Amino acid sequence: MALYEHIYLARQDVSPQQVEEMTNNMTATLEAGGGKVTKNEYWGLKSLSYRIKKNRKAHYSLLNIDAPAPAVAEMERQMRINEDILRFMTVRVDELEEGPSAMLQKRDRDDERGDRPGGRPDRGGFGRGDRDSRPPRRF
Amino acid sequence: MAIKDLTTTQARRPFQRRRKTCPFSGPNAPKIDYKDVRLLQRYVSERGKIVPSRITAVSALKQRVLAQAIKRARFIGIMPYAVS
Repeated sequence: MALYEHIYLARQDVSPQQVEEMTNNMTATLEAGGGKVTKNEYWGLKSLSYRIKKNRKAHYSLLNIDAPAPAVAEMERQMRINEDILRFMTVRVDELEEGPSAMLQKRDRDDERGDRPGGRPDRGGFGRGDRDSRPPRRF
Repeated sequence: MAIKDLTTTQARRPFQRRRKTCPFSGPNAPKIDYKDVRLLQRYVSERGKIVPSRITAVSALKQRVLAQAIKRARFIGIMPYAVS
Protein backbone atom coordinates (compact mmCIF):
# COMPACT_ATOMS: atom_id res chain seq x y z
CA MET A 1 0.00 0.00 0.00
CA ALA A 2 1.10 3.52 -0.61
CA LEU A 3 1.88 6.08 2.05
CA TYR A 4 0.33 9.52 1.99
CA GLU A 5 0.29 12.70 4.02
CA HIS A 6 -3.03 14.40 3.86
CA ILE A 7 -3.74 17.95 5.05
CA TYR A 8 -7.14 19.52 4.98
CA LEU A 9 -8.49 22.92 5.91
CA ALA A 10 -11.95 23.23 7.45
CA ARG A 11 -14.02 26.38 7.56
CA GLN A 12 -13.42 28.61 10.58
CA ASP A 13 -17.05 28.55 11.80
CA VAL A 14 -17.09 24.83 12.51
CA SER A 15 -16.16 23.67 15.99
CA PRO A 16 -13.09 21.56 16.78
CA GLN A 17 -15.44 18.71 17.68
CA GLN A 18 -16.95 18.82 14.20
CA VAL A 19 -13.47 18.78 12.68
CA GLU A 20 -12.67 15.72 14.76
CA GLU A 21 -15.86 14.11 13.54
CA MET A 22 -14.91 14.83 9.94
CA THR A 23 -11.53 13.22 10.57
CA ASN A 24 -13.26 10.17 11.99
CA ASN A 25 -15.51 9.94 8.95
CA MET A 26 -12.51 10.09 6.66
CA THR A 27 -10.74 7.44 8.70
CA ALA A 28 -13.81 5.24 8.39
CA THR A 29 -13.89 5.75 4.62
CA LEU A 30 -10.24 4.79 4.33
CA GLU A 31 -10.65 1.73 6.51
CA ALA A 32 -13.62 0.63 4.43
CA GLY A 33 -11.30 0.76 1.43
CA GLY A 34 -8.68 -1.37 3.15
CA GLY A 35 -6.37 1.35 4.44
CA LYS A 36 -5.44 2.77 7.82
CA VAL A 37 -4.56 6.09 9.40
CA THR A 38 -1.30 5.90 11.33
CA LYS A 39 -1.27 9.43 12.73
CA ASN A 40 -3.81 12.14 13.18
CA GLU A 41 -2.80 15.67 14.13
CA TYR A 42 -5.03 18.63 14.75
CA TRP A 43 -3.10 21.91 14.40
CA GLY A 44 -5.94 24.09 15.56
CA LEU A 45 -7.43 27.24 14.15
CA LYS A 46 -4.67 29.01 12.26
CA SER A 47 -4.77 32.20 10.28
CA LEU A 48 -4.27 31.83 6.54
CA SER A 49 -1.67 33.74 4.57
CA TYR A 50 -4.32 34.75 2.06
CA ARG A 51 -8.09 34.46 1.86
CA ILE A 52 -9.43 31.12 0.73
CA LYS A 53 -13.13 31.12 -0.19
CA LYS A 54 -13.57 34.35 1.80
CA ASN A 55 -12.08 32.83 4.95
CA ARG A 56 -9.21 34.36 6.89
CA LYS A 57 -8.75 31.43 9.25
CA ALA A 58 -9.07 27.69 9.01
CA HIS A 59 -8.85 24.54 11.10
CA TYR A 60 -5.85 22.51 9.98
CA SER A 61 -5.66 18.73 10.27
CA LEU A 62 -2.94 16.37 9.17
CA LEU A 63 -3.42 12.65 8.58
CA ASN A 64 -0.76 10.09 7.86
CA ILE A 65 -2.33 7.47 5.66
CA ASP A 66 -1.32 4.01 4.57
CA ALA A 67 -3.97 3.02 2.05
CA PRO A 68 -4.48 1.82 -1.51
CA ALA A 69 -5.07 4.53 -4.10
CA PRO A 70 -8.79 3.81 -4.70
CA ALA A 71 -9.54 4.35 -1.00
CA VAL A 72 -7.74 7.70 -1.08
CA ALA A 73 -9.57 8.69 -4.26
CA GLU A 74 -12.91 7.91 -2.61
CA MET A 75 -11.99 9.97 0.44
CA GLU A 76 -10.96 12.90 -1.78
CA ARG A 77 -14.24 12.65 -3.69
CA GLN A 78 -16.17 12.98 -0.43
CA MET A 79 -14.02 15.92 0.65
CA ARG A 80 -14.85 17.75 -2.55
CA ILE A 81 -18.55 17.37 -1.78
CA ASN A 82 -18.25 18.61 1.80
CA GLU A 83 -18.67 22.37 1.87
CA ASP A 84 -17.02 22.76 5.26
CA ILE A 85 -13.70 21.77 3.73
CA LEU A 86 -11.93 24.69 2.11
CA ARG A 87 -9.00 22.86 0.66
CA PHE A 88 -7.08 19.62 0.97
CA MET A 89 -3.81 18.26 -0.24
CA THR A 90 -2.64 14.66 -0.42
CA VAL A 91 1.05 14.09 -0.92
CA ARG A 92 2.59 10.73 -1.55
CA VAL A 93 5.67 10.18 0.61
CA ASP A 94 8.33 7.52 0.76
CA GLU A 95 8.08 7.23 4.52
CA LEU A 96 5.73 8.63 7.09
CA GLU A 97 7.34 10.63 9.83
CA GLU A 98 6.97 9.55 13.40
CA GLY A 99 6.18 11.92 16.21
CA PRO A 100 4.83 15.44 15.90
CA SER A 101 5.36 17.25 12.62
CA ALA A 102 7.38 20.43 12.16
CA MET A 103 4.28 22.51 12.69
CA LEU A 104 3.76 21.27 16.23
CA GLN A 105 7.38 21.18 17.37
CA LYS A 106 8.24 24.71 16.26
CA ARG A 107 8.78 26.00 19.77
CA ASP A 108 11.63 23.75 20.83
CA ARG A 109 13.31 23.90 17.44
CA ASP A 110 14.31 27.51 17.90
CA ASP A 111 16.94 26.65 20.48
CA GLU A 112 18.82 24.13 18.39
CA ARG A 113 18.97 26.42 15.37
CA GLY A 114 21.91 28.35 16.75
CA ASP A 115 24.49 25.62 16.37
CA ARG A 116 23.66 24.91 12.75
CA PRO A 117 26.75 25.35 10.56
CA GLY A 118 26.49 28.46 8.46
CA GLY A 119 23.14 29.33 9.93
CA ARG A 120 22.78 32.84 11.25
CA PRO A 121 19.86 32.71 13.67
CA ASP A 122 19.70 36.44 14.22
CA ARG A 123 18.98 37.08 10.57
CA GLY A 124 15.76 35.65 9.33
CA GLY A 125 15.70 35.29 5.60
CA PHE A 126 17.68 37.26 3.14
CA GLY A 127 17.30 40.86 3.96
CA ARG A 128 17.15 42.22 0.50
CA GLY A 129 14.21 43.09 -1.61
CA ASP A 130 13.21 41.48 -4.82
CA ARG A 131 15.61 41.59 -7.66
CA ASP A 132 14.28 42.61 -11.00
CA SER A 133 16.38 40.58 -13.34
CA ARG A 134 19.61 38.71 -13.44
CA PRO A 135 22.60 40.99 -13.86
CA PRO A 136 24.80 40.41 -16.93
CA ARG A 137 27.46 37.82 -16.43
CA ARG A 138 31.07 38.87 -16.48
CA PHE A 139 33.53 36.52 -18.08
CA MET B 1 33.23 27.69 -14.20
CA ALA B 2 32.15 28.81 -10.80
CA ILE B 3 35.58 28.31 -9.35
CA LYS B 4 37.21 30.37 -12.04
CA ASP B 5 34.68 33.14 -11.56
CA LEU B 6 35.32 33.14 -7.85
CA THR B 7 39.08 33.47 -8.18
CA THR B 8 38.79 36.44 -10.53
CA THR B 9 36.46 38.24 -8.17
CA GLN B 10 38.74 37.46 -5.26
CA ALA B 11 41.67 39.02 -7.07
CA ARG B 12 39.68 42.15 -7.64
CA ARG B 13 38.34 42.50 -4.14
CA PRO B 14 40.60 43.46 -1.27
CA PHE B 15 38.81 41.21 1.24
CA GLN B 16 38.42 37.47 0.98
CA ARG B 17 35.03 36.06 0.21
CA ARG B 18 34.25 32.77 1.85
CA ARG B 19 32.97 30.04 -0.40
CA LYS B 20 29.37 29.33 0.59
CA THR B 21 28.12 25.76 0.80
CA CYS B 22 24.67 24.35 0.38
CA PRO B 23 22.76 24.58 3.68
CA PHE B 24 20.93 21.32 2.93
CA SER B 25 23.98 19.19 2.23
CA GLY B 26 26.32 17.48 4.63
CA PRO B 27 25.66 16.00 8.07
CA ASN B 28 22.93 17.40 10.33
CA ALA B 29 21.41 19.32 7.47
CA PRO B 30 17.75 20.17 7.98
CA LYS B 31 15.20 18.13 6.09
CA ILE B 32 13.13 20.12 3.61
CA ASP B 33 9.52 19.76 4.65
CA TYR B 34 6.58 21.76 3.32
CA LYS B 35 5.11 21.94 6.83
CA ASP B 36 8.19 23.63 8.29
CA VAL B 37 7.30 27.26 7.59
CA ARG B 38 10.09 28.62 9.73
CA LEU B 39 12.70 26.89 7.61
CA LEU B 40 11.09 27.79 4.29
CA GLN B 41 10.63 31.40 5.33
CA ARG B 42 14.35 31.94 5.08
CA TYR B 43 14.38 31.14 1.40
CA VAL B 44 11.71 33.58 0.29
CA SER B 45 12.06 37.34 -0.06
CA GLU B 46 10.02 39.88 1.87
CA ARG B 47 7.58 39.93 -1.03
CA GLY B 48 7.16 36.19 -0.74
CA LYS B 49 9.15 35.23 -3.80
CA ILE B 50 11.53 32.29 -3.81
CA VAL B 51 15.11 33.56 -3.53
CA PRO B 52 17.39 32.35 -6.33
CA SER B 53 19.95 29.74 -5.36
CA ARG B 54 22.86 31.88 -6.50
CA ILE B 55 22.13 34.08 -3.48
CA THR B 56 21.26 31.38 -0.98
CA ALA B 57 23.91 28.89 -2.18
CA VAL B 58 21.43 26.03 -2.16
CA SER B 59 22.49 23.29 -4.56
CA ALA B 60 20.52 22.84 -7.77
CA LEU B 61 18.96 19.58 -6.62
CA LYS B 62 17.96 20.96 -3.24
CA GLN B 63 16.65 24.15 -4.81
CA ARG B 64 14.17 22.11 -6.82
CA VAL B 65 13.06 20.22 -3.72
CA LEU B 66 12.85 23.50 -1.81
CA ALA B 67 10.79 25.20 -4.50
CA GLN B 68 8.34 22.30 -4.48
CA ALA B 69 8.06 22.52 -0.69
CA ILE B 70 7.44 26.28 -0.79
CA LYS B 71 4.75 25.84 -3.45
CA ARG B 72 3.03 23.19 -1.36
CA ALA B 73 3.14 25.42 1.70
CA ARG B 74 1.59 28.20 -0.37
CA PHE B 75 -1.22 25.98 -1.55
CA ILE B 76 -2.28 25.01 1.96
CA GLY B 77 -2.24 28.64 3.03
CA ILE B 78 0.66 28.60 5.48
CA MET B 79 2.84 30.75 3.22
CA PRO B 80 1.83 33.67 1.02
CA TYR B 81 1.92 33.71 -2.76
CA ALA B 82 2.58 37.45 -2.69
CA VAL B 83 2.95 40.00 0.09
CA SER B 84 1.63 43.37 -0.96
